[in-house]
This record gives sequence, structure tokens and C-alpha cells, in this order.
Amino acid sequence: MAERNAFPFDYELFDFPNGLRLVAVPLPWRGTASVYIVVHAGSRNEVEPGCSGFAHFFEHMMFRGTRAFPPERYERELQRMGASSNAYTDDDRTVYHTTLAVEELDALLAMEADRFQHLEYSEEDFRTEALAVLGEYWKDSAEPLNRLHEVLRDTAFDVHPYKHTTMGFLRDIERMPGMYGYSLAFFDRFYRPENTTILIAGDLAPAEARALVERHWGGWRRGSYRLEAPQEPPQKAPREARIEWETHTLPYVAVAQRAPAYDDSDPDCAALDLISALCFSPGSDLYRRLVIEEQWADELWANQADHLDPYLFTVVARVKQPERLPDVRRAIEDELDRLVSAPPPQERLEQVQSHLFYRFVLSLNRSDSVAAQLAPFLALRRTPETVRRLFETYHRVTPQNLAAAAAAWFRPEGRTVVTLEEKPQ
Amino acid sequence: MKLLVHQDGSPLLSVRVAFPAGSAMDPPGSEGAAWLAGQMLAHGGTRRRSYKQILDFLFPRGASVDVSVDKEMTCFHFDCHAAHAAEMTELLAEMLCDPGWREEDFRRLRDDAIHSLEADLRGENDEELGREALYGLLFEGHPYGHPCQGRISSLRRMELSAVREFYTAEYGRNRVVAACGGAHAESAAARLRERLSTLPARTRSDGSVPAAPPLRRTSMIFVEKPSQGTALSLGFPVEVRRGHEDYPALLVAVSALGQHRMSSGRLFQSLRQHRGLNYGDYAYIEYFPAPMFTLEPEPNHARQRQIFELWVRPVAPGHAHFALRLALHEMEKLAGKGLDDGEFEAARSFLLRHQALLEEARSAQLGHEIDGLFYGTGLQSQYLKRTLPELTPSDVKRAVERHLRPEAIAAAFAGPDMEALRKAILDNAPSRIQYNSAKPDWLLQEDEIVSVRPVPVEESAARAVPAEEMFE
Repeated sequence: MAERNAFPFDYELFDFPNGLRLVAVPLPWRGTASVYIVVHAGSRNEVEPGCSGFAHFFEHMMFRGTRAFPPERYERELQRMGASSNAYTDDDRTVYHTTLAVEELDALLAMEADRFQHLEYSEEDFRTEALAVLGEYWKDSAEPLNRLHEVLRDTAFDVHPYKHTTMGFLRDIERMPGMYGYSLAFFDRFYRPENTTILIAGDLAPAEARALVERHWGGWRRGSYRLEAPQEPPQKAPREARIEWETHTLPYVAVAQRAPAYDDSDPDCAALDLISALCFSPGSDLYRRLVIEEQWADELWANQADHLDPYLFTVVARVKQPERLPDVRRAIEDELDRLVSAPPPQERLEQVQSHLFYRFVLSLNRSDSVAAQLAPFLALRRTPETVRRLFETYHRVTPQNLAAAAAAWFRPEGRTVVTLEEKPQ
Repeated sequence: MKLLVHQDGSPLLSVRVAFPAGSAMDPPGSEGAAWLAGQMLAHGGTRRRSYKQILDFLFPRGASVDVSVDKEMTCFHFDCHAAHAAEMTELLAEMLCDPGWREEDFRRLRDDAIHSLEADLRGENDEELGREALYGLLFEGHPYGHPCQGRISSLRRMELSAVREFYTAEYGRNRVVAACGGAHAESAAARLRERLSTLPARTRSDGSVPAAPPLRRTSMIFVEKPSQGTALSLGFPVEVRRGHEDYPALLVAVSALGQHRMSSGRLFQSLRQHRGLNYGDYAYIEYFPAPMFTLEPEPNHARQRQIFELWVRPVAPGHAHFALRLALHEMEKLAGKGLDDGEFEAARSFLLRHQALLEEARSAQLGHEIDGLFYGTGLQSQYLKRTLPELTPSDVKRAVERHLRPEAIAAAFAGPDMEALRKAILDNAPSRIQYNSAKPDWLLQEDEIVSVRPVPVEESAARAVPAEEMFE
């Protein structure tokens, strides 16, 4: 299916002797470039007890400057460039991203290389920044969905760091100001070239991108730390948790199943992505029933978030009629169970494959979007090829594969259900 | 009708259709009619196709038709693959010209609107709650005085007939703008022109919106709800909008004070970087939709009436009084002295170069072009290129002196223990704060001034309201 190339751009990979990888993607949009620096460290790397949320906190510290570029100078430079710049942290990655005029790329890469190699901050700055992280927690804490995911992960996992969200446990966030020493160790361990992939997507030739990266990043020294993430044992019995919410809210229900680690050629992994769209998206029968016809729920979605280690396939619904919460929950569980014995017809499967393909293609509408879409895949496999392989796998999946994946992963003993309801007054 | 067409060899087609109809045109007592009209067209099915049939049609194409309803503009937009250009254009035309008006869709969408106010805004997003409360305070009795979704009481009373009436009165062919870019843009535009010209030449509203009510005294609203932090938004109306002679200068000033989601602004530096009070602090002279969810402003929220707005993200409840004082202190420093040359140059350079990035995606560019028509200033990047190079720091100083010296300000807080905060502000109580690390002398000296800075407000102008009574 040649026309079904989900990632329709050429790219080149360059591996430097220090372990750093550059992914260069020339793009048709004139005059701009996006730089996404993907550090292969996220909340999965927080293996020591009491250190949850640290990868995210560290992302904040990366903006606290160096001798050559104190924060004021760094910010002033970005301003002068007119750049769009930010960063985010997730379970398996921390991403520093900037989109700007292509002629500023040299200046930007020099500045970024400087902070990745020579970051320097005082304990006072560290303690102050810890409060900004707390502020970030507060702004998110009003959202029931945040709490739902916090409790879901805490309930579903016992030992793996996926047990906590990327923000971390509140008790750990509150302890952060006293963790200056640990922050230095975190930087030393993970902010290393062999643990970093730089993506440059935009209006320049790969050879030019390579020369720039070599000039500024070639001298970065390799590290030696090896992460041992604890392996989560299989779940042996269904789990449940219930949250009472302080303010008015509509009830939420999350039904999660253990899911396999990301693998672009694993039919199970692809099948779960297809199932999320087939059974729980606005194009699904269940959505029609719960949202449009019965109107018991106003939101329904599922996702099988790609992770380095086995994670969760999660279905979430928001229930409009609180007394219908058990019915909505049952409808979701029935849908998961039904797939094992009643896979969809081939024609329906093709619609889902088409849906995933076009939805992805439609997101590639400018330099920054292409880079943003690619970054999570680079965190998983360090190459855009993984996108093509994944979509090829989607197209090879058969109805029988869906049934087999459902049988393997939607077992009742691997299920965790969390509900959130308004606290009775 | 106005058409904007940019055909090229892109594999995607982008379409935006904007009507000059929004919540400012809601008839009194029918607040929410504009919102529901937009939703019914985009998400309520057509006469020929039920909503479910439309979802089934969109699904294999990976596409969706989205709508945004703002105070004065309702915009429908989609992106699709070139292979689906004709049928997607046809679907949009059908939605706009031949809606389904089914009662069950109306019930669903009216519920959604009620829940977006009752559950989402009151309960789940303190920051947006604070912003909407600020708008409510500044625009009381004005067409902007209610959220775009309407009011809960009017939504509960709303009949489908009122929504149909709004559509009949406001969705005319004479002031619609259809913008198409990318693959098959010309045939998409031709088809839209043909279909949209079947709409009657009408609009009940003439498009004029009265000026904001004058803010004669400082007013505050304290929205009480259980939360871990306290959100704060403050501001006052400004007459400056795109096209006003002071707009470019004020834009530069506000960018230096608090460019959205940039760390370079004075507010961000002062409140977050140096003091660790919260996650971020920004300043605006144009409405920015849903700033907590996006780095870039979604176009087609153009408004004739704008406010100067400071957005202080949630602080520890005990720090809210100090944060208010510090934000005002930063605003006054700017109003008194303007910008130094370095700040001026950096902010101007940012605005000149950044806008091109905001217009890079075809859909965004079309949206910004539509806004350019609304304001009569053309594409924003071009407008800034025409006006910013001429500016000087003294122009900025003049603009801030003229527009940032309000007689009064409005402030909206959302969070816990509001009565204590209200009392502290009314009593003008000192609000010194403790830090968890050593601070430089200049900062501690500034704190001494800021922590006792008076914010005079009369008791009758400081209202405490439980969150569950907002937007009723």
C-alpha cells in the first residue's frame, strides 16, 4: 500500500561517536525549523523511593541557566529569535522543543548544547523552582481527571514507577526543596549523549543539520549509568478504587487493562490501538449508544498509550446521569469482553485502519506538528521508521488478531476500575 | 460574502467558514442561543444525515468538523486529505445551509452546554473560572456579560425554536467569510459560494457592540470553592484593539510584561522565577481563548471590545493577597517608566518574528486572515511588519501612560477561604510572605513595599460568591 505511507517525509539518521543521535527531516514549509531534544528519561526513571516527579522537576531546572547563559540571557535570546519554545515531561521522555526561523538554528543549538553540558544552578534557585512545580500541581489539581489517573496508576501498579504520574506524588513534590543533591545526580546520570536524540525537522538539508549538531554537541561526554526499572509482576486479581470529589462534578469511570509494551511489529500492540478507535471513539457503536441515543454519558474515549514497559489500556467515560454509573461501567466491560468472541467484520476493521492513518496524516500540517508527532516515537525507538512499521502492522491486523489480543489482554484478573463521584453533601 | 482562496500542491485541504454571529447577539433571556446554534450545525446532524451518520462518514476519513463560538464570531472549520476534499466541503455546506434541528440532538447539546458551565467551569478549572468571573465583573449588563455558552438558567429554559430563530436571524450570506487553502481550494471555495449564497441576505444584528461599561471603582469578586490553590485574574477595559494607533506600542509593552507562556516577561520573572509563587504569570490586551490548554491563540475569537488582563496562575491560598499586590506593582512600574531599550528591542523582535510561526499551518493562516478582515488590519504578520519597525521606546511609554493608568481595576479570585482574603484586602492588612530559601536584598526591599501596598476597594464592591452560584 504505497500510498499508505503514514510518514511521507524523507529523513536521515546520524550517530555520533559519543552516542548522541540526530534525526534530520527536511520539510516543505519555508523558513522554519523545529528542534526537539528528546531525553530518554521520564518518570519511569524515578526508581528510588520518595523521588517521584523528579524528571519533571528537572525539566524545570534546565531553565535555570549556565555561566555563559544565565536565565535572563537565555530568555532574551529566545525572545529576539521570536521562537516558540517550551518543554514537557512524560513517563518515558523529557522533551525540550523550539520552533524558530531556520537562520537562527545555529545560535539556538549553541545555547541548547551549553545548557545540556554546563547546567549550573544554586540551591536557592532549586528551592524556589520546587515551589513553581507545586504551583503546577495546584493548577492541575482542580481537574477530576487528573485525580482519576493518579489513583488509577497507584491502584494498578505495585512496584513499577508507572505507579505514579509524571507530576509525582504530592508528598514527594512537597519534599523536593530538600533534594538538591539528588538533582545533581539525576542530571549526571541521564542528561548524557547516549541518552538523547535530537530531532531537527524543517527547511534545511540533513547535512547542514549534522554539521550544526557536530559543532555544538560533538564534545558532549558519554555517561555510564544503566537504569534498572523494576518489572511489574502480573496482576492476579481485579482491582478497584473509588474517589469522592469535593466539588460538583459529573461521575467518571475508568476501566483499565494491563497492556503490552510498545512494539511496532507486535500485532497485539497494534490491535489494542485499533480497538481503542473501533470500540470507544465517536465512530463506535458504544459511543452511539451511550452518548447519542441513551445519553447516559457525554464523554467516552480509550487509549493505549505507547510505553517502553508494559502499561495500561484505559477506557474513560463521563456519566451524565449519576444513577447510570453502574450501567456505563457494565457497558464498557461488556464491550471489552465481547471482542473475544465477536471480532468486527473485515470491512469495519478497514474503516478503523483508514481512520488511524488519515488522523495521523492530518496532524502533519507544519514543521512543529511533524516534530511533535515524531518525538514520542523517537523516545521509544530513536527512528521515524517505527511510525511506518507501526502503520504497516496496523494494516496487517486481522479480525482474528483483534480477538486474540482481546483474549490475551482483557482478562478480568488484569482489570482495574476506578470511579470518581461527587462527595455526598 | 467574502472568499479567501489559496490553492497549492499540499496533500491537505483546510476550510474555515466564519459568521459574524456570537454570544453578544444572544437575545436577553436566551443566553446560549448562539452557542447552541453553532453546536447544532456542527454536531447535530443535517436534514439528510443524522449526527450518527455524519460520525460514520467522518470516521474512516480521520476528520472532524469543529466549531468555535465566541462573542462576535462563530467559525466552522475542518482539515481533510485531498482525497476527501469534495465530499467534506459538501458535508460542511449541508451542515451550514440545511441543519437537521432534531430535538434529541438539541437535548444532548444543551446538556453539554449546561455541564460545561456547571461541572467544567465551576468545578474543574479554577483558572478559567477566575477569568470568566473577571469578564462577568467587567461586562455586567453588557452583551459580553455572560459566558459564550450562555447562562445555566437560560440554557435550562431554552427551546429548540429559540436556537432556530437565532440561526434564521444571524446566519446570513451577506457577512459570511469562507476561506479555503491547500488541495482543491478553488473548487471547494466555488462550491461553498454556490451553497452559502442560498442563505438569505439577512442579519438581525448590525454588528455593533457597545463600549464596555466604565469601571468607576475597583471591584472584586471572590469565588469560593475547595481548592489547593487560589487563581487570580485582574484587569480593566481598554479601547485599544487592532487598528488603534496605540495597538502596536501596547502590544510590545504587554509582551514584555507577560508574553503568553514565555518565561521572559516581567510578571513571570517577578512572581515565579524569583519568588516561586506559582506556575506562571502573563498579560494580554486581546482575548486569548483557553490559555491553560494551548501555547498559541486559536484565531477567530476577534472582538471589538478588549480588556487589559493579567493572569496569575494559582498561588498558595495564603499568598493571594501578596500576588495581587505584586501584579499591580509590576503593572504600575511599566505604566510609570515604560521599557528600557533592551526590553523594547527584544519584545519587538519577538512579535515581528513569532507571528509567522503562528500562521504556518494553513488552517491557522486562514483564521488569521479572517481576523484581519474583521479588524480591517490585514494578516496579523503583515500588520505587525508595517507598524512595529516604526516604533520607538517613547511610543511605548506614551501608550502605557495613556492606557495602563486605570481609575480602577477589577479582580477575580477563585479558591478556598475567600472570606479571609476579602477581609484582608478590605482591611489593607500587610501580606508579608516567608520564603524557603535566602533571597537577595533588592527582592526583600521590594517585598517591604509591595506587602503593604494599598489596594483600596469599598466593601460593597467586593463580592463573595460560592462557585455553585456562578453563571446562573
